Amino acid sequence: MHELESVAFSVLETVAADPVGYAVEWKRRTGRPVVGSFPMNFPSEIVHATGALPVIVQESRTPITEGRSLLPEFYCSYTRSVADQAAVGELDVFDAFVLADHCVQLLGAADVIRWAKPEKPMHFAQFISSMDDPWSGAQVRDKVASLRVEVEEIVGVTVTPEALRASIRAFNVNRHLLRRFYELRKTGRLRVSARQLQVLVKSSMVMEITEHTELLESILSGLELPSEPPDSLVRLHLSGHFCAPPRPELLDLIEECGVLVVNDDLYHGTRYISTDVPEDGDPFDALATWYLDRNVSAPCGTRVQRNVDWDSYLVDSLDDSGADGVITLMAKFCEPLMLYYPELRKVLDARDIPVLLIETEHEGLAAESIRTRVETFVERIRRQKLKVPTLA
Amino acid sequence: MTLDLSLSTKQSLDLSPTRTRTLEVVDKSNRLKSTSLGGKMVAEYWDNIFTAKERGKHVVWYNGTALNPIFQAAGLEWCHGEAFSARLAAMHLEGPAQQAGEEYGYIAELCSYARTHLGCAVMTQKGITEKQSGIVGMVDQDQLASKLPSPDFFVNAYAGCSTGQQWDAMTYRVFGKDFPIFNVSLPMIWGNKKDSGYLRGTEWEKTPLYVEEQLKKLIEFIEYQTKKPFDWDALSENMSYIKRASELRLEAMALCAAAPTPATYWDWVASIAPINFLPANQLLVDYFQAVKDEIQQRIVNNISAVQNERYRVYFDGIMNWNKLGFLTRKFAEFDVAVVAGRYTHDSFWQEPQLIDLDRPLLGMAQHYLICPINHGLKIMEELLLKRCDEYAIDGIAFHSTRTCRAMTNPQHILARTAERDRGIKSFSFEGDVADAAFYKDESLESGLVAMLESIDQQRAKV
Ligand code: SF4
Ligand code: SF4
Repeated sequence: MHELESVAFSVLETVAADPVGYAVEWKRRTGRPVVGSFPMNFPSEIVHATGALPVIVQESRTPITEGRSLLPEFYCSYTRSVADQAAVGELDVFDAFVLADHCVQLLGAADVIRWAKPEKPMHFAQFISSMDDPWSGAQVRDKVASLRVEVEEIVGVTVTPEALRASIRAFNVNRHLLRRFYELRKTGRLRVSARQLQVLVKSSMVMEITEHTELLESILSGLELPSEPPDSLVRLHLSGHFCAPPRPELLDLIEECGVLVVNDDLYHGTRYISTDVPEDGDPFDALATWYLDRNVSAPCGTRVQRNVDWDSYLVDSLDDSGADGVITLMAKFCEPLMLYYPELRKVLDARDIPVLLIETEHEGLAAESIRTRVETFVERIRRQKLKVPTLA
Repeated sequence: MTLDLSLSTKQSLDLSPTRTRTLEVVDKSNRLKSTSLGGKMVAEYWDNIFTAKERGKHVVWYNGTALNPIFQAAGLEWCHGEAFSARLAAMHLEGPAQQAGEEYGYIAELCSYARTHLGCAVMTQKGITEKQSGIVGMVDQDQLASKLPSPDFFVNAYAGCSTGQQWDAMTYRVFGKDFPIFNVSLPMIWGNKKDSGYLRGTEWEKTPLYVEEQLKKLIEFIEYQTKKPFDWDALSENMSYIKRASELRLEAMALCAAAPTPATYWDWVASIAPINFLPANQLLVDYFQAVKDEIQQRIVNNISAVQNERYRVYFDGIMNWNKLGFLTRKFAEFDVAVVAGRYTHDSFWQEPQLIDLDRPLLGMAQHYLICPINHGLKIMEELLLKRCDEYAIDGIAFHSTRTCRAMTNPQHILARTAERDRGIKSFSFEGDVADAAFYKDESLESGLVAMLESIDQQRAKV
């Protein structure tokens, strides 16, 4: 039923399953540095423009061992996994780390890396999280400038405006292609699973971007369109899950319950590819603009902005995709999501849009209980869809 | 083989921990008397707040750092979110607010300060819509949690913890975005440059200037909201009281380096509210003068804060407000004087020399940035060791504060640093700021006993 299967796709699948393995291999092949960054707003283009490989550090599937004694158990699975990877040496391939986000849990994990790997540079350019203050723009520009200095020092290469422009173009092309898969899925012309789309996005966070783009192009050119989704499936939107991808098995499980996932606002999904960097004007300013624009095109619970709401964005996105309901995937202990969820629910309830909350953890999946909950949820939507309106 | 079931009843089964404890625990703590005056001042402050609307006052809800001298100079009444949650928890009255928060959808793993305060916001908002009255709490008149006056605007200035900022972004939404909000962004002092350290380095010199500019904008915002020019002289005057109160507080804290200590961490906890949000005035100065006097007198009279002080412990973590009295007695029961702590000793106008009355905003900005959760690990390690040396600390109690990630995140590493660099033992126990459900007495007692035993062993070796 899925049309992506190809040699190119299996390469991406391998990278998504083993990002560190890819980074090690890339470094051996090119002899150039690898720079790790963290979700969700670091502009990879600036590292790419130095010739180094920017890699967004991913949650590892391995069980947390050493990390247990470095970060509290009530930290989100992503940050606990990062701390664990630092402690057991899985992050050794990285020559330096850079971050721009200020989630308290992420900063805790970054401190563990600093402690476990004191020899590795770790630069933090804290992008202001209040997006619509009169000084927000200038503050982000300042931070991009300090990132530039740090990244240049780490790699030993000057970031020229030309090189940065070229990197911006390369990332924009890649995002554009990824969005194409999303659009095709939404229209029903492409039968693609949520797991497969996650592979496409996750691998783009890890791979050299032009290499990734070539593979995406190869997959797209091999697609046989159109096809129509069966009517009987309930159309759903997946929402939430910051920083780390939800487990592929969970996505499969949801789809096995008679669901067609038609859109999402996951970080390993629409949120990551939502916004292009402007290609005209000063490229460093463009990175600052991208950051500010991003919260408008896909509002994020970790930012604050008065004139933008994740809840209304979600409702618009449901109108656009024709989704019948929402499954919110919440990484356990993710405070930004815990804080925002009641607002999302309030708006969805007010519009009679069914919503189901599923909490995820690093350690395994309570598959059967989740399956039962999803099945009941899908059944409820089916009944709601069948309901004949009564005369008032 | 027969199983003699009667045997077990004949045997005395000693399940008590290694340290002997009596069933009737005698309270061996000796709290300062002068802090009870602070309790009264705080109660009066809140009573005053509850009538703010009747008196036609503008009310600001704020979270995070101590912006109150600015609000005071602007003639506002100020409600500090964490302070109110802490008060409810300390009075064991947090239940209704937390329940309202839960019904609204806030999960129990969310910061219990935020959860409690958002619950208050829900109740307050309900009060507004149901009664259209300025005074809320008509629904549950008897519940303190529902008595907060509705805000005219919000100000957020949270250092170090992203939760703080997002919490206000949500309060703003709970109130239907009907009231303006102003955000002061306080960047973290990351401390990675070669010249970085506590109160030093280029990062330290540059960052407060950025914050100072925002404070100026905050004042413009307040002028716009109140339609009144800001009283800069009043601000300097307020800061002069804060500066003096802070000096007295630090002098009094320094006296507690004496062994046995004349006052403990718990007395400093009782003094947080006054220094953190009470009006800046002569009363505040008098309060800390009284605290210092009492401590001095205790030294003269050789009065100890803990009967038979045998161990000097540092407390790391945010306060467990539900358990203030309980923990005071609990530690004393084991001859432990909890002498100092990160929450009390590294926060709240702790560097009064930075306050320049001719340029008050800069000193304020600097203080906001040295909140103990706004530093990278290296600075936190530096501060912990400094305090351990100042107060001759034998052990550290880490309050693993379940829903406060900001205070807990460096604790495992701080414990290793203290052991590595000073041979100081530590233990960790579970609890929370404002949710009693997370406190585990067994976790405290077994950890404490184990730590004291290893201190004994260490001493025996010397
Ligand atoms: S935003 Fe959520 S998932 Fe990301 S680091 Fe913070 S708590 Fe973890
Ligand atoms: S998590 Fe801790 S520091 Fe953060 S808002 Fe809550 S109480 Fe404050």
